[in-house]
Amino acid sequence: MTETESTLPDAEALLRPMGGPMTTPEPNRLDVSVPASQLVAAANCLVAAHWGHLAAITGLDGGAESGMFEVLYHFCAGPAVVTLRTLLPRAAPVVPSLTGLITCAGLYERELSEMLGISIAGSSNTDPLYLPDDWPAEVYPLRKDAQLPGEISGTGAS
Amino acid sequence: MDTGKNVQKFILPMGPQHPALKEPGHFEFTLEGETVTAASVRLGYVHRGIEKATESRNWTQNLYLLERICGICSHIHATAFALGVERLAGVEAPPRAQAIRSLLAELERIHSHLLWLGVTAHEAGFDALFMYAWRDRETVMDLLEQLSGNRVHYSANVLGGVKFDINAEQATAIRIGLDFLEARTRHYLDVVATDATFLQRTRGIGIMDHELAKNLGVIGPTARASGVLRDVRVEAPYAGYRDFPVEPVLSQGGDLEARCTVRLAELLKTYATIRLILDQLPAGDLVARMPRKIRAGETISRVEAPRGELFYFIKSNGSEFPERVRVATPTIRNLASAMALVVGRHLADVPMILAGVDPCFSCNDRAVMLSRVDAEPEHWTWERLRRAGIAHYGGRMVDAGEVAP
Repeated sequence: MTETESTLPDAEALLRPMGGPMTTPEPNRLDVSVPASQLVAAANCLVAAHWGHLAAITGLDGGAESGMFEVLYHFCAGPAVVTLRTLLPRAAPVVPSLTGLITCAGLYERELSEMLGISIAGSSNTDPLYLPDDWPAEVYPLRKDAQLPGEISGTGAS
Repeated sequence: MDTGKNVQKFILPMGPQHPALKEPGHFEFTLEGETVTAASVRLGYVHRGIEKATESRNWTQNLYLLERICGICSHIHATAFALGVERLAGVEAPPRAQAIRSLLAELERIHSHLLWLGVTAHEAGFDALFMYAWRDRETVMDLLEQLSGNRVHYSANVLGGVKFDINAEQATAIRIGLDFLEARTRHYLDVVATDATFLQRTRGIGIMDHELAKNLGVIGPTARASGVLRDVRVEAPYAGYRDFPVEPVLSQGGDLEARCTVRLAELLKTYATIRLILDQLPAGDLVARMPRKIRAGETISRVEAPRGELFYFIKSNGSEFPERVRVATPTIRNLASAMALVVGRHLADVPMILAGVDPCFSCNDRAVMLSRVDAEPEHWTWERLRRAGIAHYGGRMVDAGEVAP
């Protein structure tokens, strides 16, 4: 039995009580949809059982037409990757902070917040991490419709 | 020393230009006397907006863009991206290409670890070790140049395989280089374990036990020096590591000394892996055919960079351009641990604790905008930048006839 086979079912069993829909997009991956209100509880299912580590937080912008953001929390254990997927309305995007459970989540959350304009509820540090001090307010560069100052999104040779 | 009096509290800003590190990061340390009581970090001084830039470049252009995230571990970024895009396209690079990818990645690890050894020695005030380490690093830089034509950005990967092969002459040169480096590495292992002055700066400093390392979420050699097995090459073998497994190096020490010995000891394993790849390099093609458009989907590609796990999330919408590329680099995770470890330590230990996680700021900071303090920000198109580069170096071009014998 490979490690994937032994750990992905563990994660599935841990997250089953959360009740969210689960999919297996690739053999080593499990995606679990979780509403923002249950995110901390879902993350705690994995953290309390010492299942894997938080490898990254990814913010996706579905674009203005979809009206949604999606935040992905990727947990890795050996070759297995569990992703908690949280859909947020573009109009008022807020996710709870995971820093109470996972210390290193803070830096990822600061990046998510400044790049996509997603608020992190309960975060102790909301200072910009990467963007300059004089970066214009309310400009979130990773949004698909971001109006960036100047030509920084230029397409190479054009 | 506790004098019983109220100790004045200072906030000491360090950086982005500062004497302790050669890359830009801004730290604020709250001090009570000599003791650090709080620490915070501000990055972004070399942020280039690369994640955003990937969305307006095609899959092939992105391979070269992403390779430029880091000037130390460039090859591993391109490898992570290529492996992910190939998985999305349902294409597997040929075994020979996968082996060459791993071979290059291990050569890159040698140069990165020797660079780190030099920086750490320098922070400790041991400049002789710094210079010897960097002198020896030239051996592997020359090998990389011989293979790829470049010292830093090897551009070995293409989507679907690799660009160049390794011939018998190059294999011999690598073996000779490794013999020299192995002897030197054994000497350095001895030095970092016995030099009394160096040990004063490393032994028992920045201690992170197994439990704390797990809680802080550190990865790579920083985790392995605390007995936590975090090595993607071992946990989820990719590219050539499925055929050429790597033996992980662990230490239970958890202090700076352990971080030194783990990195040096894993160099010895790296030499063994490279020799094995050279001995058993699979025959066959170098490239598999890739489609121009990548079918819609999402994938996750994880590889072991010299500093730890490098994580790529790649989403395709079925076009020639990616919908989203998310890059999570190892330094950000390890830096968070350094911020926790400096608390309670003397200010003088800060540079060593930072150097102990081998921070790489270019990896963290990914946005092109030229800005001068005395003028309005100036925006250059890529073409203007390219022309300026040609004009700049064109004026300095040395006639080949002048240097040829």
